[in-house]
Amino acid sequence: MIADVFIMSVDALRSHKVRTFLTLLGIIIGISSVIIVTTAGDSVSYFVQGQMNIFDPTAMLIGVGTASDPPRISFTQSVFTDNDVKKIQDLPSVKNVAPVGVIPLRKISIRNGLLKWENAPGGSMYASAPEMLDILKLEIEEGRAFKEGKNEIVVTKTTTELFGKDQPLKIGDTVYIQRIDSKTIRAKIVGILKESSEGNVLTQLTTPSILGPTDPFYSTFIGSNVGGILHRITAYIILYATAIDTEHVDEAKTEIIDYLNRGSDASKYKKEKYDFVIVTQQYIIDRIDRVMGVIKMLVTTIALISLAVGGIGIANIMFATVTERTREIGTMMAIGAKRRFILQLFLYQSTIIGLMGAILGVILGASGSAFVIQVLNTYIKDLGGTAFSGSIALNFSLQWFGIAVIFGVFTGIAAGVLPARKAAKMDPVVALRYS
Amino acid sequence: MSDNIIIETRSLTKIYRTGKVEFKALNNVSIKIKKGDFIALMGPSGSGKTTLMNILGCLDRSTSGEVFLEGQNLSTLHDSQLAEIRSKKIGFVFQTFNLITNISAIKNIELSMIFAEVQRSSREAIALELLKNLGLEKVTKNLPSELSGGQQQRVALARALANNPSIILADEPTGNLDSTTGLQIMNLLKSINKQGKTILLVTHDSSLKKYANRIITMKDGEVSEHR
Repeated sequence: MIADVFIMSVDALRSHKVRTFLTLLGIIIGISSVIIVTTAGDSVSYFVQGQMNIFDPTAMLIGVGTASDPPRISFTQSVFTDNDVKKIQDLPSVKNVAPVGVIPLRKISIRNGLLKWENAPGGSMYASAPEMLDILKLEIEEGRAFKEGKNEIVVTKTTTELFGKDQPLKIGDTVYIQRIDSKTIRAKIVGILKESSEGNVLTQLTTPSILGPTDPFYSTFIGSNVGGILHRITAYIILYATAIDTEHVDEAKTEIIDYLNRGSDASKYKKEKYDFVIVTQQYIIDRIDRVMGVIKMLVTTIALISLAVGGIGIANIMFATVTERTREIGTMMAIGAKRRFILQLFLYQSTIIGLMGAILGVILGASGSAFVIQVLNTYIKDLGGTAFSGSIALNFSLQWFGIAVIFGVFTGIAAGVLPARKAAKMDPVVALRYS
Repeated sequence: MSDNIIIETRSLTKIYRTGKVEFKALNNVSIKIKKGDFIALMGPSGSGKTTLMNILGCLDRSTSGEVFLEGQNLSTLHDSQLAEIRSKKIGFVFQTFNLITNISAIKNIELSMIFAEVQRSSREAIALELLKNLGLEKVTKNLPSELSGGQQQRVALARALANNPSIILADEPTGNLDSTTGLQIMNLLKSINKQGKTILLVTHDSSLKKYANRIITMKDGEVSEHR
């Protein structure tokens, strides 16, 4: 009997191909748009996380600013001292810590022959400890890291072409770095950074073109009067730190904040209105996930609404079909159809539409996702692409088939119940007279 | 009740109410239909013939009185039992043929067998046999819209016969056909009757009287019978 009802339902749907197709379309669009949005969102999310993981997941950025959500680091006050760096290094959950001083440069010069100078505009230079290369996961392609107390620098590939591609800077070359305060310091290039480590979301923001040791390049001092004598102490704007492993990031964070708030040098120099702020890698990932989550939820809501509209479409067409077939319903009852058969006949039709819409929706959703990701990948390349490495991979979950089928069938049944009941409740005498 | 009585009605009354207006469609109708009868139920429109046919065909219920079909009191049965009786014991033939439009001729016949819960394996053979007997073997796979009126009515007749019912109820079966085709259908009904099938023909066409062995006339919800 069930097989017979099914065949009858399919026959009924096939006899109105255009109508069935248009009704299907409502469901197909609803389901495929949910899938496209979620799949594209997931894929982008994984991609961004992949980019993040190039950067050390145990890394933290310590600064002063506003401990709001999101925390804001203000790059206006240099408060961390070498003593602070040493104390933080001794904390149990901290693996490495390196101070970072930002040195604004006026120009960079090389000597070409005895009296000929060539100048290039300087950007900014980071002065830090050699550990910073590790923390930022910057790899050296050629040469070695700089050493503390030496006039040595490590530069990016781009920096080597500062004076033209035809005369790239090489390991062992000497450049003259003029700081914004006009002091010029001689520096020997000892290392060149690997290209790939120049380009990912986070390091793009944090990698300067030149890195060198704090001594002798960095000299930002803060003064404090102790017994009428002015002490000049080197101070840094931010610190980079790593936790001993990913599980200890939060502990390290708490330890550092505790230390900074209780008796650190930085707490003495910090302006009252600022807090100590630590931005962790995980925090950034969570932020991106949260933003992605909100976008996904929003579009999923819209897509679910469109699925509901599709369901209303089914209900609408089923009501029309029931009315249109009133006399046939009367006839079927006259030749012996039970009310249950009539109910099933129409319920099956709406369910088949829901089911087929779901299956076609998943297929369209899968191919649509692939298409959207291809477009996104093209866009990333068009944008210059230095901020991203690699391309977004399609992250399509096969579970969608199950989820979509459940949703489609549910929509079909929900949409079909009222029209099918209307059909099943007809009085055969009245239905037979209908014209 | 003698064995060869198929249908018996006792004081059958049907009242339609529209708002405060009452209309008595059937008034104390008591008739007996014997096995093998070919009855012409005649009368002007509005006389109550269709109402009587609907009640005899288990499509409608009377306001009062009783109907017995093969000794079973129909007034006490609920909807799904009535549906079962319709599928197994009654064959309907309508003026407008009433085939299901989106399925083929043979599937229309099989449909009535689905309702009577005939085994899938035997349905097609029975349907084909019936179609062949009615000269429709060439159009078995055609949709109703691809058939002439006469062909459609023959498919409808085959559908009515498919479950070997106790009685055929034919409501103006020639009403939508030209006279030649109508004649063919009447002759078919007559030959079916000769094979022992009971037939109730509802019509207001007095020229069809000659096919019947009994003529029941209705007027204002009341019956009278003449030979």
